[in-house]
Amino acid sequence: MNIEEYISSGILEAYVLGELSSAEKKAVEQNILLYPEIKEELRQIEIAQEMLMMDLSIEPNSNVKEKIFEAIEKETRVDGKGKVVTMPGWWKFSLAASIALALVSSLLAIRYYYKWKEVDSNLIELLVQNQKIAAEYNTVNQRIDKIESDLKIANSPSFTRTIMNGTDNAPESVAFVYWNASTQDVYLSIEKMRELSQANQYQLWAIVDGRPVDVGVFDSTLSGLLKMKNVAAASAFAVTIEKSGGSTTPSLQTMQVIGNVIKG
Amino acid sequence: MVKGLHQKNRAAFDLLYNQYKGALYGSIKRIVKNEDVAEEVLQDAFLKIWNKIDTYDREKGRLFTWMLNVCRNLAIDKLRSGEINKESKTDSLENSVSKVETTVQIEQSTETIGLPESLIQLPEEQRFVVEFLYLKGYTQSELAEEFNIPLGTIKTRLRLAMVQLRSIYQVS
Repeated sequence: MNIEEYISSGILEAYVLGELSSAEKKAVEQNILLYPEIKEELRQIEIAQEMLMMDLSIEPNSNVKEKIFEAIEKETRVDGKGKVVTMPGWWKFSLAASIALALVSSLLAIRYYYKWKEVDSNLIELLVQNQKIAAEYNTVNQRIDKIESDLKIANSPSFTRTIMNGTDNAPESVAFVYWNASTQDVYLSIEKMRELSQANQYQLWAIVDGRPVDVGVFDSTLSGLLKMKNVAAASAFAVTIEKSGGSTTPSLQTMQVIGNVIKG
Repeated sequence: MVKGLHQKNRAAFDLLYNQYKGALYGSIKRIVKNEDVAEEVLQDAFLKIWNKIDTYDREKGRLFTWMLNVCRNLAIDKLRSGEINKESKTDSLENSVSKVETTVQIEQSTETIGLPESLIQLPEEQRFVVEFLYLKGYTQSELAEEFNIPLGTIKTRLRLAMVQLRSIYQVS
């Protein structure tokens, strides 16, 4: 493909305008991945478009923001226990967006400062470092949140802990199930489990009246506690290896770990 | 912890709204013209942005482009649905708060009043294309058809306009 001709045709400008069909879009997206020149050209076009749109700004009335946030609250579904059930992936942006926007506003402030005085380059260095530290602080905070909540479950008397020990298939493997018989909540943690290929996943089963019941799938890379499907009754828990996504019946010959529920 | 995450999500969304509300509302209002309708579309657009954020893929382009397309498409749909008269001149740009430098207006011809400096600097046939696509909500095909200009020419003029704007805005 002749990259220059492709770019000169104006297809990227049509792409950022949002005018291509799904098929045309997919083709452009492929080319963005394949050719760094196209990716760079696209970036510049997008920035120019953004700056144009900023120049064409019109302020909306201030009450519009309230209405949007009200609508979002309505959309945020909550289950019977007050837990937020559906959540779009804004967590990806909690860090990136706030840091990026904070950085932009601090850089804009610097540019203004430039107009009137000479800028100490150390000041810029410090500001950038500050943003990096803020980003790391946020990451650490999130990790601590998760550890705290996992600890609460693990130490709670309402949860019965079942140790699942390794079978002959995997004598060294160990995993734990935390089960709250009254709320039916189940959490799983791995002590030691073998790495699996991409095609497979581990699947947890509850043994109820001698029959296996699916409790959910998980990966060997799991850290901390993972919330699984609810279980009303179980005499034992076991883990098998299934193809990714899980199976309706367990491949018992692959059983990795199993443990009996000991009621306290 | 799940609730805290929701609050953090809200905070990120809040920042995004504050940063881009003007640019996005501008794109919508210039297409639908009517203020009440424009506000409605802005609300629908941001709700859609909130709900569909998982479909945004950074390998496909910048976040702002994605948001702009959500807004533009909703605005164009609204225009086509017949809810508002496309030819309506009742809510003109003069009623809007915009960032246009008022001092420049004295030197402009009547054709370019209300346009930002960057567009005034474009050659006429390029400015024409940008105006109809970005300020009037035409698609490239609609523009080609209505003014009897080959689609390829429209695409080329838009390309040239964007190259010029990149230079004007000093994009590197």
